[in-house]
Amino acid sequence: MDLVFIDGLSFALILLIMAVAAIYSEKSGVVNLAIEGLQGFGAFIGALTAILITHYTNDSSSSWIMYVALLAAMVGGMVYSMLHAVLCVKFQSNQVISGVVINILSVALTGFLTSVINQAITGQASNKFMVGVSPRFDVPYLKDIPVIGALFKSMYPFEIIILVIVFIAWYVLYKTSFGMHLRACGENPHAVDAAGGNVNKTRFIAVMVSGALSGLGGMCVAYSISAQFSPTIYMGYGYLAIAAMIFGNWRIIPTTLACFFFGFARSGGYKLCLVLGLSSNVSELLMMLPYVLTLLLLVFFSKNTHAPAAGGQPFDKGRR
Amino acid sequence: MNKDVRQQKIDVRYAIAELLSNEKTSKIATPILSILLTLITTAILLLILGSNPITAILGFLRAGGFIPKPSYASNNNMFTDFLLFLGIMAPMLFASLGFIISHKAGLFNIGISGEMLISGFIATLLVGYSDLGPWLAKPLVLLIGMVVGGIVGAITGFLKYKFNIHEVITSIMFNYIINYVTGFFINSYYTNPFTRSSMPASAASRLTITGLKLNGINISIPLSIFIAIAVAFLVNFLLERTVVGLEIKATGLNQDCARYAGINVSKNIIKAMTLSGVLAGLAGVSYYLGYYNTIVPKKLPDIGYDSIAVSILGNSSPLGAIFASALVTIFQNGSTYVSSSTGIAKEVASLITGLLLLFSACNTYIKYRAGKYVREYLDLKNAAVVKTQAASEGGQNINGFGVH
Repeated sequence: MDLVFIDGLSFALILLIMAVAAIYSEKSGVVNLAIEGLQGFGAFIGALTAILITHYTNDSSSSWIMYVALLAAMVGGMVYSMLHAVLCVKFQSNQVISGVVINILSVALTGFLTSVINQAITGQASNKFMVGVSPRFDVPYLKDIPVIGALFKSMYPFEIIILVIVFIAWYVLYKTSFGMHLRACGENPHAVDAAGGNVNKTRFIAVMVSGALSGLGGMCVAYSISAQFSPTIYMGYGYLAIAAMIFGNWRIIPTTLACFFFGFARSGGYKLCLVLGLSSNVSELLMMLPYVLTLLLLVFFSKNTHAPAAGGQPFDKGRR
Repeated sequence: MNKDVRQQKIDVRYAIAELLSNEKTSKIATPILSILLTLITTAILLLILGSNPITAILGFLRAGGFIPKPSYASNNNMFTDFLLFLGIMAPMLFASLGFIISHKAGLFNIGISGEMLISGFIATLLVGYSDLGPWLAKPLVLLIGMVVGGIVGAITGFLKYKFNIHEVITSIMFNYIINYVTGFFINSYYTNPFTRSSMPASAASRLTITGLKLNGINISIPLSIFIAIAVAFLVNFLLERTVVGLEIKATGLNQDCARYAGINVSKNIIKAMTLSGVLAGLAGVSYYLGYYNTIVPKKLPDIGYDSIAVSILGNSSPLGAIFASALVTIFQNGSTYVSSSTGIAKEVASLITGLLLLFSACNTYIKYRAGKYVREYLDLKNAAVVKTQAASEGGQNINGFGVH
């Protein structure tokens, strides 16, 4: 039973950081279907950093490498997201197309570079960077609470980082004037412009924040669920995060609840397979549950959602 | 002299900008620019990595059967390669036609991969594993592919119109669900223990006729490519010359405007997604029951994603898609040969496709910039003409004044 909580929480938080990334971009008026590609690219840069450090220092056990890798993933995701920002904000391309371009290019680019770099470093053509699973820790005292104490057992360090970042993101978005500007850019950019704000700059920054947070999320996937960087990192978690954002009605707190629901549904499903003693084929089939669930929930929740009013439209000063 | 060279440079720049921005020529000029930019970027990347880009390009052309390879396996030649190339180009063309129809309606069908997989799977199950004769089996395969793909597309469109779920999310979810479901059935019931993919479908049901010999040379005839090119013209006709096409395009251009003009927008959303699914289904059967005769479980075909690059490169025009799909297929088809003959990583093909997509996505901006350049150039030129005219007129006046 503990395992349901432990795995559910880590998956939920990974989804949450990506969903918050999506919220930042979409709230500023840039539709971001590129989360999937951004998290993959971030994870690629992070894993590459970890691999290079291990390769040149022959030190694979130190925990600081992980923190450097997480930071590198954020930077990588941010830099890559600038491509989306340039396409959407500067070039005023179709934002949906741009998002899909980013995703496809990310899969292609990371796949290509991974095999080229592996060839150069180890001399073997492989499309994987092995980074291993992050160490875990227990929160003292809290873990002894009955039932929900499991939430505080064998946590990944990045879960704490994510919680802190999500809190900061929430604070910035709802309690600061920058956050106010950002949300206004998604609702009525011309009002922001008339008030002397710079819509395009705000949107650019929002997309970059989105990239950094997605990159972090991707690296967390690499350090927990997949234990490596490989093309399997493109499992569609970025899209699940977008779905969670839609359930959460583009607001951070309801989105958090949606992510927790996804997380526990997933780990609960696995547990159920184990308990029922199903064959590996059937449990593979149950892997599709989160996706089916997403569709069903969207059917019930999509109708009443309120997407940012100016989402998807490039800002054109001359058009009122 | 120096000034002449500079003037020439400006004139050349103007001519290029004119080509890119002019309504008639930009349709061809911008894709060509995208292709050039892609090739240059790839070449630079390959040079940095220490490979020769020219050999890579020649390798891609050799693999597609456009220029001869240095050596062939027995009973194979350039023609064998070319027919194989046509066989894999057919699903690419079908898939991109499917994407184009949805795109014309302002929708984004990213679920082509899933629609291909499910239609290929069901057609294999119902016809590929039966002992029907070729005259019955082949049309039936096409029909099943169209129906299955169409149903999935229709559901996506229905969810969009009824529940306002973004079609990208729906189709991605369908991709994963279809991937797991077909994977489960193939692994549980239809697996070939040696290859681990599904059991081969009967030759009678395949849309590619294999095992033929022409003057002792192995050839396979891909019937699907003939159908695909015919369908490309059909889709072009549908979009350009019929009411159905007009309504779909109007929906895509401006939903409010279309509604105002009395067009049923929700019906057209479903219609476009269904047609898109039908074409994706054709892509699926010509892939899994044409070029191949088995299905690798739990692997979505890349063609579904590559087709997006093809469509956008071809300016969302069905006839442009014929050329664009040929180009993208050259790269995807040749990746294995190039990587084995030159040692360049196989993933370079996907990278080229991705870059093509990226530069094609910049098309609108390039066109806009070129148009701006042309306008500024003409303004400057007019200003210069006015200035010289004024100067010469002024000179005459002075002369006239002198006479007086």
